[in-house]
Amino acid sequence: MVLVMIRTAIIFLVLLIIMRLMGKRQIGEMQPFELVITLLIAELACIPMADSSIPLLYGIISVVTIYVLHELMTLMDLKFKPTKSLISGKPSVVINKNGIDDYQLKRNNLDVSDLIESLRSAGYFSLDCIDYALYEANGTFSALPKENYESMQPSLPIVMIDNGKFDKKNLEITGLQQSFFEEILKDNKVKKTKDVLVLTADGTGKLYLQVKGEKFRTLNVEYPGGKTW
Amino acid sequence: MVKSIVCICVAALLLACGALCEWAILKNNFNGFQEELITLTRKLEEETANGEDAKAVQTSWEERKKSLHVWIPHNDVARIDDYMSETVRLVSEGEYALALAKVEIMSHLTECLPGTYLPHLENIF
Repeated sequence: MVLVMIRTAIIFLVLLIIMRLMGKRQIGEMQPFELVITLLIAELACIPMADSSIPLLYGIISVVTIYVLHELMTLMDLKFKPTKSLISGKPSVVINKNGIDDYQLKRNNLDVSDLIESLRSAGYFSLDCIDYALYEANGTFSALPKENYESMQPSLPIVMIDNGKFDKKNLEITGLQQSFFEEILKDNKVKKTKDVLVLTADGTGKLYLQVKGEKFRTLNVEYPGGKTW
Repeated sequence: MVKSIVCICVAALLLACGALCEWAILKNNFNGFQEELITLTRKLEEETANGEDAKAVQTSWEERKKSLHVWIPHNDVARIDDYMSETVRLVSEGEYALALAKVEIMSHLTECLPGTYLPHLENIF
């Protein structure tokens, strides 16, 4: 029985560490230890129920052990600040006044397209209309928009360069040439495309450009042939 | 907060009691059965054992396994069941040497099985 308890505790801790290492992408509205418990409890209850060669007591002991661990984690979460961040993680500010924080994105195993997807889900389509955006410890996304942000997103911005690479599909959709954007990068003293963290373009000619490790810039350009979308 | 701590303590106490019960029941049953097997082994070596002796050990085992089923996987209990049945048959037919081999396997199992449920490093991983 002690064996079952120890094994349950080991599996619990290993899963918790793995979930914390996987970052916020894997969580989704639960604290990491709550997700671990959700993953474990169904299996723990099910196996002795379905396999008659295992005493039912093994399932009960595992579930009670999980309950004790859950209560301990909750207590630590509420009462001891240092362990709270260790167990549940901290919110990550992924957009600040300087633009996207690439380091924070990487720490949470996310990329720019994941961030843009989260922004769209939250109702924000343009990167420059956000002052701050963060992934909470439980994986949910929160954003603080600028004043009158609605007027800042008249058209859908499309990602042209994502983490140093041109998105060929999006170039095709907009009908714009790679060379057009390369010229813009040259004009803005960006030597290589791979230095660009993100470049988005909307239908009105507004570009959002952020070079890795630098503050973002917004540019207004005219598309060849007066294209819009 | 107080409720949580009380709940943790009660649950931990229940687990500890369960662990102690398991240890005591396994020790008691396997030690008792081991002694019966030693007696049977002695009789087999002297070739004085009869079917009744083996049957008595089997009946005792049947009683013991009722409580063991609660605490250990049923497959482990079934292993001893198999050897016990074979032993009864062999002793009844006077096949002492073969019966002795089966009893020795059971003795070994009764020695080893309780240890596999103790929190030793090799059992945990």
